[in-house]
Amino acid sequence: MSGKPDMRVSLGGLELKNPVIAASGTFGYGREYSPFFDPARLGGLVVKGISLKPREGNPPPRIAETAGGMLNAIGLANLGVEAFIAEKLPWLARQDTAVVVNLYAESVDEFGELAGRLAGLDGVAALELNVSCPNVKAGGMAFGCDPGPVGQVTQAAVEAAGDTPVWVKLTPNVADPVPVALAAAQAGARAVCLINTLLGMAIDARTRKPVLANVFGGLSGPAIKPVGLRMVWQVRGTLAAQHPGVDLVGMGGIASGVDAAEYMLAGATAVQVGTASFSRPDACLMIAQELGQFCAEESVARVSDLTGGLNT
Amino acid sequence: MTTIVKAKVVGNQAVRPEVFLLTLETPEIAAAARPGQFVMLKVAPGPDPLLARPFSVHGTDGGKLLILYQVRGKGTRLLAEAEPGLELTLWGPQGRGFDLGGAKRPILVAGGMGMAPLAFAAKVLEERAIPSLFLNGGANQESIRGLEDRLEAMLVAGIERGSVERLRSFFAAKTKAAETSFSGAPRIILGTSTEDGSFGHKGLVTDLLEESLSASQDLQPDLVLSCGPLPMLKAVARICAKQKVASQVSLEAPMACGVGACQGCVQPAAGGGYLRVCQEGPVLDAAQVDWERV
Ligand SMILES: Cc1cc2nc3c(=O)[nH]c(=O)nc-3n(C[C@H](O)[C@H](O)[C@H](O)COP(=O)(O)OP(=O)(O)OC[C@H]3O[C@@H](n4cnc5c(N)ncnc54)[C@H](O)[C@@H]3O)c2cc1C
Ligand SMILES: Cc1cc2nc3c(=O)[nH]c(=O)nc-3n(C[C@H](O)[C@H](O)[C@H](O)COP(=O)(O)O)c2cc1C
Repeated sequence: MSGKPDMRVSLGGLELKNPVIAASGTFGYGREYSPFFDPARLGGLVVKGISLKPREGNPPPRIAETAGGMLNAIGLANLGVEAFIAEKLPWLARQDTAVVVNLYAESVDEFGELAGRLAGLDGVAALELNVSCPNVKAGGMAFGCDPGPVGQVTQAAVEAAGDTPVWVKLTPNVADPVPVALAAAQAGARAVCLINTLLGMAIDARTRKPVLANVFGGLSGPAIKPVGLRMVWQVRGTLAAQHPGVDLVGMGGIASGVDAAEYMLAGATAVQVGTASFSRPDACLMIAQELGQFCAEESVARVSDLTGGLNT
Repeated sequence: MTTIVKAKVVGNQAVRPEVFLLTLETPEIAAAARPGQFVMLKVAPGPDPLLARPFSVHGTDGGKLLILYQVRGKGTRLLAEAEPGLELTLWGPQGRGFDLGGAKRPILVAGGMGMAPLAFAAKVLEERAIPSLFLNGGANQESIRGLEDRLEAMLVAGIERGSVERLRSFFAAKTKAAETSFSGAPRIILGTSTEDGSFGHKGLVTDLLEESLSASQDLQPDLVLSCGPLPMLKAVARICAKQKVASQVSLEAPMACGVGACQGCVQPAAGGGYLRVCQEGPVLDAAQVDWERV
């Protein structure tokens, strides 16, 4: 093959330089990684989940390493939307990459309010709704477990966001992700992202105590890649048939360019990289480079040709 | 830019059972490192273990970085097997180190592996010709011996061992001596405690700290630096608050990113909320920490 592969992708209303995006909660507010590489080399970055009011998060210990993965119970610690806009967004707006703001809220109205506050601001390319949050008005059950609430939340955000694309990030802690993905698409989501962390637990047998103060935590890292691939593949068929304009963003355990290619073959238009940044701060960059190499080796002219290319 | 380096192992020897001195060839990090800062070290490539491990900078030797570590679990057990010539990935130095700025009469309090960063601080104080008191505590003679050898090895003029009475009068004596000149003589006096009494004072290192702080009023120690197990740090913070002596503690917490992004490694902050050990710390003014919630 002659020349370099074309790494650009169109995703959920955005044009990205390449399909590798840093995942929410693992890339801070972006600047934390700027000593290691220029974020302009990424397709995009998703900031830590932002809520209306600042959140302290859970008591420590908040993290525990597990076989091929890790558990986290950070508790959505963040500085709140006003401080985010004042202190973090100006720097982000100067970076030549797509900045996506991940939203955390505990009611449909709060999601709408947050989306309205952030949409259209300089530097905000898209909004990503974290529907793994507890729906406080419905007894704390996560929004993301039911198509109904996911549709309501998405609709509220889409209405408030105007021209700013809204992506919906699904939880893997459901029996069937398809109805939930369809509900998001129906309500106007431009992209569906999956997966968030899997609910898990670690125990210290010597002390007979849970390792995390919160007892439960979210499992991420290489250990969850098979689950992520399965869910992307599972959702892809129905979504492509019923909502061909809605893209998929795959994530969960991506640690190499080949891992990223696997997600794209399963149906993802782009990928997000989370925990890998903890093993190496420049992991996102390396994965983007490796994906380019993979395309060159496999004579793939455009990286977007990988999407949905799985032979079954 | 902070670079992520691949550094060659040039040494990895036991200094006592389960504690090793790792020497890495990494001029960039060695040149930048200050006492109290740490590096993130990936002990093996790939997903097992997945995360890099934080280690304090124990010292530098030209372009070499020294790490003093204890075998705790999977990662450190694997690290203990690293042979010279092997390349390891690491980044840093990270975090806020000790602020040695204005100290004239500092006391350093180490418990167990707290020796790792404090020996580096002692070395810098020696270079600045500031006499200091080093209090070291451990379970027994066997557990402290190799660690105190490391302290001695780091210092040009070595250490002088001191009784409790000597610790009390140290700063007064040293100040007089400094006025005359004691070039070549140790500027650092070491007091040791063991829980079983097999060496030095029988009891806790914080007993020695209380003794040292009860000395003459006009030549009170003006800064206490400490690193060690949490209960020890709590006691140090309490004693220093009571005696109104400034105190800096080096804290630990299980860590993931090491760069301030994930908010995994927090400890409770005075006045509410949390501090990130990797960013606001690992060295914090004891007054920044909410010791009730630690
Ligand atoms: C800023 C900082 C500096 C450090 N400097 C040194 C040093 O100079 N020398 C040294 O020997 N150790 C140091 N540590 C502790 C060291 O990072 C841990 O011992 C190491 O990560 C354990 O890894 P492991 O894979 O062997 O154990 P794991 O299998 O991960 O865990 C074994 C046990 O250690 C505990 N543990 C794991 N990570 C930490 C941690 N970061 N802090 C406290 N407990 C932990 C676990 O809860 C578990 O009980 C430092 C820690 C921090 C946060
Ligand atoms: C420490 C940590 C914090 C996270 N915080 C968020 C968050 O605030 N919002 C969110 O939607 N996902 C969050 N996630 C989930 C990740 O974005 C990602 O979906 C998940 O970790 C799976 O990808 P990975 O295996 O590449 O890490 C977090 C993950 C980790 C490890």
